[in-house]
Amino acid sequence: MANRLDHDYDYLFKIVLIGDSGVGKSNILSRFTRNEFSLDSKSTIGVEFATKTLQVEGKTVKAQIWDTAGQERYRAITSAYYRGAVGAFLVYDITKKQTFENVQRWLRELRDHADSNIVVMLAGNKSDLNHLRVVSTEEAKVMAEKEGLSFLETSALESVNIDKAFHTILKEIFHIVSKKALAAQEAASMSGRRIQGTTINVADSSTNTNKSCCST
Amino acid sequence: MEEKKRTDEFEAGTAPPSRLNNREERRVQKWRKMIGTGGSDWKYYVRRKPNVVKRRIRKGIPDCLRGLVWQLISGSRDLLLMNPGVYEQLVIYETSASELDIIRDISRTFPSHVFFQQRHGPGQRSLYNVLKAYSVYDRDVGYVQGMGFLAGLLLLYMSEEDAFWLLVALLKGAVHAPMEGLYQAGLPLVQQYLFQFEQLVKEHLPKLGRHFDEEMINPSMYASQWFITVFSYSFPFPLALRIWDVFLYEGVKIVFQIGLALLSSCHDNLMKLSFEKLIHALRNFPDEAMNPDSLLPNAFSIKLSKRLIELEKQYNDRNGVSSHKQVKQPRLSRKAS
Repeated sequence: MANRLDHDYDYLFKIVLIGDSGVGKSNILSRFTRNEFSLDSKSTIGVEFATKTLQVEGKTVKAQIWDTAGQERYRAITSAYYRGAVGAFLVYDITKKQTFENVQRWLRELRDHADSNIVVMLAGNKSDLNHLRVVSTEEAKVMAEKEGLSFLETSALESVNIDKAFHTILKEIFHIVSKKALAAQEAASMSGRRIQGTTINVADSSTNTNKSCCST
Repeated sequence: MEEKKRTDEFEAGTAPPSRLNNREERRVQKWRKMIGTGGSDWKYYVRRKPNVVKRRIRKGIPDCLRGLVWQLISGSRDLLLMNPGVYEQLVIYETSASELDIIRDISRTFPSHVFFQQRHGPGQRSLYNVLKAYSVYDRDVGYVQGMGFLAGLLLLYMSEEDAFWLLVALLKGAVHAPMEGLYQAGLPLVQQYLFQFEQLVKEHLPKLGRHFDEEMINPSMYASQWFITVFSYSFPFPLALRIWDVFLYEGVKIVFQIGLALLSSCHDNLMKLSFEKLIHALRNFPDEAMNPDSLLPNAFSIKLSKRLIELEKQYNDRNGVSSHKQVKQPRLSRKAS
């Protein structure tokens, strides 16, 4: 891993896209990575994958996003992908109450299978269907605050807040990682040890997770 | 994405006219003779000449007879005859806990195929009925995403009721149950298949296996759909149909064989790719690799039966057989092979 110096990015962040079936995860991914939306997309079987490279505070960050099948039966396969993820993009559908209520179950999934300091972005998708809304912005905000999550309402169809949501989560991850790097650097210099050039291992499992994460 | 579209645009049941030459007609004649009127001679033929049947199936079942032959091979015809009125009962009178889940996925099953495109059209209605009936019939399994692609493929070749019983034959068994346990909670069989496939890649294509290891590629990233939908999810229909012909007669072994043959045909290219490009390539095989007339013979030449059984044992030993007690041994291949 460490010998791969041909990186065209400074950081690689692995993010999982989770939430109930049919809330629009795959379209969020295609909107973000390819600026595409498809009204007749197939249900996801297993996992899908896409990446996008963008600038976060002057650094080149590559987001490696795993889109997972939402049906409960598939968690046996998809939960393996939580390992090594530094971010989770948790989606519900503002027109389907159940998908919002299940947010708690998804959080439990993350607690059970993901890194404890994973950054979670809660996204209420399909905001273009405001006339069918059953989950209010307010109640989602309250929950997000209580659970310590970032929160945005999004529309993959109308391309609203998709980029913003990803930027938000990536920035947050970036801050945590750079803070850790700084702390590690300070700890190292305090104890008088030499800092190893650029290979400070920032987070136990966050950066440099270049592909190291998803073995089942 | 383009690849996926192409899959759905193929219309079943219409062979290109150029192929309907004399040879093709003779082939259909042979098949008609083998089947007999309404399938009356089939069982006799299979018992007497299993290897002839196997060889002919491997060459492809004539499209005009495919629906009937699939029902005969799988034994679903017998299930249908033994259970008159049951399907109707399940569709009309029973309610299923999975109804909403099924409805949500109906328009997401072969969405670009002309038969399933129309909202609430006959294709979508049949698909719903079959899936709902199955979810009631087998309440332990219910409805699991992926089943729609199986049912959808079947509905292109047979009536709702026939498709339902074929689904039952696949998942619960009639002659054999090539997919039994596949959709159970925890997807135990999928996990086992992925383990077996990973080992087989290492054994049959050692260089590629090492490359996958180095790049942290494992089969759950690209092959889950192969096993869960038997290549019907995103492969071109002409190829998927030929695989199904064999799958219904010989069992899941063909999925492993096709998988290995695909990797083998793209071996040199795959060796050059790193993680991201690899994942993309493993989900978007080039057209020439997916030509059934070259891929299937290559697949058949890979001998796996014995090794698959050993690997299954190895998997169960590693994972403690107890947790898989409820899963019966899948029949990897029939006696005929």
